[in-house]
Amino acid sequence: MNDEPIISWKVAGIALGLLLTLATYLVQPLGVSTQFVVTDAVVMHQIAPEFAEANEYLARYGVPADWGVGYGWMLVLGMLVGGGITALLFREKQPEADKGSMPSMWKSKFGPSETKRYSAAFLGGLLLLFGARLAGGCTSGHMISGISQLAVSSFIFGITTFGVAIIVAKFMYRKQGV
Amino acid sequence: MTTLIIGFLIGCAFGAILFLGGASSYRKILGTLLLKDMTIIKLMMTAIGVGTLGVYLLDMGGLANMNIKPAYVWGVIIGGAIFGTGWAISGYCPGTCIVGTSEGKIDALATLVGALFGALIFSFVFPGLDEAILQSANFGKITFADVLGINGIYLAIPFSMALLFTTFFVLKDRYE
Repeated sequence: MNDEPIISWKVAGIALGLLLTLATYLVQPLGVSTQFVVTDAVVMHQIAPEFAEANEYLARYGVPADWGVGYGWMLVLGMLVGGGITALLFREKQPEADKGSMPSMWKSKFGPSETKRYSAAFLGGLLLLFGARLAGGCTSGHMISGISQLAVSSFIFGITTFGVAIIVAKFMYRKQGV
Repeated sequence: MTTLIIGFLIGCAFGAILFLGGASSYRKILGTLLLKDMTIIKLMMTAIGVGTLGVYLLDMGGLANMNIKPAYVWGVIIGGAIFGTGWAISGYCPGTCIVGTSEGKIDALATLVGALFGALIFSFVFPGLDEAILQSANFGKITFADVLGINGIYLAIPFSMALLFTTFFVLKDRYE
């Protein structure tokens, strides 16, 4: 049966918990969403420096002292490299159902239009980062790292996020209508 | 410089774990959100169970570089609701869309590009939101250990045990 992920949730979960502990010991806990702002800020500092400096939020990040990037940004770059290399090495073992850009679940509910899927993915991404910046973090920084630190804020984030995501997913995949 | 290299290596491991564990799979994410396939929530809860114990054991030795996020209640709730909506629609979160992109998934790349725009839009509206939402009902960087006034480890141990117990013995997939 080749339908399950390459490593079990037990192995992946324990490895992730240990990685979080190591990161907290060496530098600081894991986090991803801030780095989208850093990337925006670095780009804006390049193409529209006056705007970037005048913007209260962007001015805080990506300041061109060096490259404007730090530990967190390198971590995200690492995810891209580590994920990519692992994906290449284990291509054979990845379940067929998890390959490609058009999930079969999506296709059977919303049709084969690639434009539709990619537009939804784009809109979803937009909401993700707007929400994450408003809340102060995402799945990694708020939920996994934050709850592990027993932060009150992160419990509120985790409960709200899961609650709303479950409602929206149930609505999207409801039995009747389109 | 060392910090940058450490960041890169930790990121590599993080990306690899997410890929191998199936966290960049639309099927697995939506399976969890539809409460049919608990793989992803079990992965997260195991990570948190181990992480809580790890972080607070470090803390006992004064070795944890914690980063507690401030509890500005309204911003966290509204932001969390918007985040949850985006999560269900795209099937990725900010971390897994990066891993999905590295696999060559175009929908993950679309999420990543959308996310860069989302962050930019936030920077435009931030000045207006700052006082209205982010500064009101802000309880600061508090943990439940602070709230209860006890040493974190006394809360971390039972919390971690309860979480791992639930994950390993209570949660079941609907089709299991």
